[in-house]
Amino acid sequence: MPSMLQDTGFDARIGVYVCHCGLNIAGVVDVEAVRESARFLEGVVVVRDNRYTCSEVGQKGIADDIKEFMLNRVVIASCSPRLHEKTFRTLLEKSGLNPHLLEMANIREHCSWVHYDNHEAATEKAKGLVHSSVARARLLQPLSRTKGRVVPEVMVVGGGVAGISASLYLGGMGIKTYLVEREPSIGGHMAMLDKTFPTLDCSLCILSPKMVEVAECENIKVLSYSEIEKVEGQVGDFRVQVRRKPRYVNEEKCVGCGDCVAKCPVKVKDDFNRNMGTRKAIYIPFPQAIPPAYVIDDQNCRYLTQGKCKICQAVCERGAIEYDQTSYVETIEVGAIIVATGFQPYDPRGLPQYGYGRFPNVITSLDFERLICADGPTYGKLKRPGDSQVPKRVAFIQCVGSRSVASGCRGYGLDAETGSSVGATDPKAYCSRVCCMITAKQAFMVKEKYPDAEVYVYYIDMRTAGKGFEEFYQRGRHEGIVFLRGKPGEIEERDDGCLRIISEDLDSGCILDLCFDMVVLAQGLTPPDGLVEFAQKMNLSRSEDGFLMEGHPKLRPAETAIDGIYLAGCVQFPKDIPDSVAQAGAAAAAAAVTCSKESIEIDPLGPVIDEALCIGCKLCEMLCPYGAIKVELTDKGPKAKSIEVACKGCGVCGASCSTRAITMKHYTDSQLTAQAKAILEVV
Amino acid sequence: MESAQKKDVPVVTVLDPKFKYEVAREPGGENIKYCFQCGTCTSGCKVAEFDSKYNPRKIIRMVILGMRERVLSGDFIWLCATCYTCHERCPQDVRIPEVMNALKNIAVREGYIHPAFRAQAELIAGYGRLYEVDELANEKRTDWGLTEIPQGCPEVAEIYGITGLADLLSGGAGGKL
Ligand SMILES: Cc1cc2nc3c(=O)[nH]c(=O)nc-3n(C[C@H](O)[C@H](O)[C@H](O)COP(=O)(O)OP(=O)(O)OC[C@H]3O[C@@H](n4cnc5c(N)ncnc54)[C@H](O)[C@@H]3O)c2cc1C
Ligand code: SF4
Ligand code: SF4
Repeated sequence: MPSMLQDTGFDARIGVYVCHCGLNIAGVVDVEAVRESARFLEGVVVVRDNRYTCSEVGQKGIADDIKEFMLNRVVIASCSPRLHEKTFRTLLEKSGLNPHLLEMANIREHCSWVHYDNHEAATEKAKGLVHSSVARARLLQPLSRTKGRVVPEVMVVGGGVAGISASLYLGGMGIKTYLVEREPSIGGHMAMLDKTFPTLDCSLCILSPKMVEVAECENIKVLSYSEIEKVEGQVGDFRVQVRRKPRYVNEEKCVGCGDCVAKCPVKVKDDFNRNMGTRKAIYIPFPQAIPPAYVIDDQNCRYLTQGKCKICQAVCERGAIEYDQTSYVETIEVGAIIVATGFQPYDPRGLPQYGYGRFPNVITSLDFERLICADGPTYGKLKRPGDSQVPKRVAFIQCVGSRSVASGCRGYGLDAETGSSVGATDPKAYCSRVCCMITAKQAFMVKEKYPDAEVYVYYIDMRTAGKGFEEFYQRGRHEGIVFLRGKPGEIEERDDGCLRIISEDLDSGCILDLCFDMVVLAQGLTPPDGLVEFAQKMNLSRSEDGFLMEGHPKLRPAETAIDGIYLAGCVQFPKDIPDSVAQAGAAAAAAAVTCSKESIEIDPLGPVIDEALCIGCKLCEMLCPYGAIKVELTDKGPKAKSIEVACKGCGVCGASCSTRAITMKHYTDSQLTAQAKAILEVV
Repeated sequence: MESAQKKDVPVVTVLDPKFKYEVAREPGGENIKYCFQCGTCTSGCKVAEFDSKYNPRKIIRMVILGMRERVLSGDFIWLCATCYTCHERCPQDVRIPEVMNALKNIAVREGYIHPAFRAQAELIAGYGRLYEVDELANEKRTDWGLTEIPQGCPEVAEIYGITGLADLLSGGAGGKL
């Protein structure tokens, strides 16, 4: 019976299947030659090539061969195991073989795709990979999978519109959800916007009902002013350490009356208003904040920095002020995690030719949102920062920090206040996708408030793909906004404070030399602050653009390469609010699928420790990045023990063990050596 | 002829799609194909501000379209002041002044040298520098206690010979412009 065939006491009987993948492989690699080169390898019983091995026909052929030739090992030379390993393992299982007796050679990504310009070399490499897979297959061992538990709860990291939406979907499904936000309130960038394109509805009017819903949903727990410290475990069973920063105000007791703010003697720049207004050391970022509790800024509070004041404590009738709060770590167990940490707007000080930070009337698009917002520092009057005058001529410059491969002028940006150079970042090669519409919206808002104002937009290409977007852009043109094709090289501030821009107007062929009262730079969207460290903690990969990498660019846009961790919103790539919300729905659905499982099968990879050889040196324990191997005292002395649920099978312990006491399951030394030797023979 | 003139409208009927690759193979011209016609280069170009004949964006466009003759025979490619302002700002890293050098190198091989450059080359061949050192200058130098400067520079002439520049200048080449 099939199960007996798996016994290693039997000789290996291997079937080799070389896939054409249509022309994906066969267009470059000589599939027949690869097939023939494997025919007489030791242990090989049958070789075939298929147009599509993953198809119904292809799979049935393998199943039939397993029966007819009594195969006990299968080698498939096709695409990446990431795509189809699961398919073929299931096929083996259905055909009565242990799923781990499968070996895949990736002759598409590793051969035909990368060496598309050298058919011969690609074919030789494919032969090498197939031979090495056969060599390894001969030594494969059946393994049994273990089952892991599923905690039916989810953590959402990042409380912007994406995180808020994902939490509401999950809460609505009855799934307990923790929403972790770094700032004192949820809301993210959308809370800072005045109106939203293309409908021009007031941003907070549509966001705050959702924020209130979050606060009221009994399944959602908001952990504001908190950050992820450490993540352990795997899909179904993550242990997340969350650092709770001290608010110095008791969230339960504070009713948001604001008595404290009136009396607080310390005034500082208001970061929520892009440093254009002031706030007190005890504050609430914006009136609709959730949680609706005040927070003390410990960098500026007189009591916390100098030891005297305590005025807020004296005036708070509810006794909500708690200066002795300290930060602490809370450990939370969840089955899935959604990452929705958003973006960071590009800092144009990296492009000093535009003078941001030096010329007060050069502002960014996010500054503009605060200036035009009724709750902003100027109560919605578009007063330019330089002299509080309402500008009569406004220019917008597109693609500031986007669509550029040139290195910015790192470090040349000068800080307006200190005059010191700041570490500005390079512009990005990608198109930030939303800035064209942001500018169309903002230009429209200037015209709406000040119909006599002249509004010009300098652009390279206008990209307005989206429902109602092109119509909105055309409406702006009809309202009199002038769109100028041609990107300016620099902004010059004249002695009278006017901003001079020389540009080439590509459409008229003229050089334009114009002066403006205010210039808005359409800053690109870049990965959020601290994403590099965050991704390391979560073991997530980033794409070349710096954002988090999705599981598959087309088919798994809301997933990651790590099972149980999902993505929503701008942390994957710049997108607008509707797309962020849609992706949040997809991520929530995927997380709910994980949570609905009773248990999760865990790949049986990991170390097998030979206690007789282990000397308890702890090297493996020190090196394991997942804390999945620990040395424990046994009656035979200190010995390493594997913690299966935490192990990811990376193999660091196996490679480091000086006494070779550790063998990695499915990646034994003998399997890997045989594989390497076989490749070298072909080369 | 790749273009004909209809009154004052240049009508282009033949394009050489290989020209851009030719330029890209020339040192300095490697990034020409990256240009996406944003106009940043021209907007900051001091030469373009004064002379409408010179427009770096348009020159690059003409190369990409393949107006080989028109570009190589044009005197506009010789007008770049190599101030590198556009090079600093071009978002696609096209390295415009170096593209202009690449174009000039191809143009010279095709027999186009701008008369001003030709005159300079001849001066250097004769004197080893861009101006003649006369008796008076050397007398002054002697008064100031400085050594005299030789009036000719045969080494430069030799370099002209080795590099083939001498042939270019004396032969028919270089006379087309
Ligand atoms: C000037 C401007 C105008 C715009 N106008 C429009 C518009 O009119 N219409 C439209 O559709 N879109 C607009 N957008 C785009 C819109 O802002 C985004 O689509 C939306 O904010 C994306 O939401 P998000 O939740 O992915 O990210 P964010 O809004 O950035 O939210 C991310 C949240 O995660 C938190 N966070 C970050 N890192 C961590 C961490 N490590 N741990 C915990 N929390 C963390 C942040 O504090 C933040 O609260 C505009 C963008 C800008 C810059
Ligand atoms: S700045 Fe660069 S990309 Fe823009 S038009 Fe000039 S060469 Fe082309
Ligand atoms: S380097 Fe040449 S093309 Fe570029 S700005 Fe200076 S003069 Fe103009």
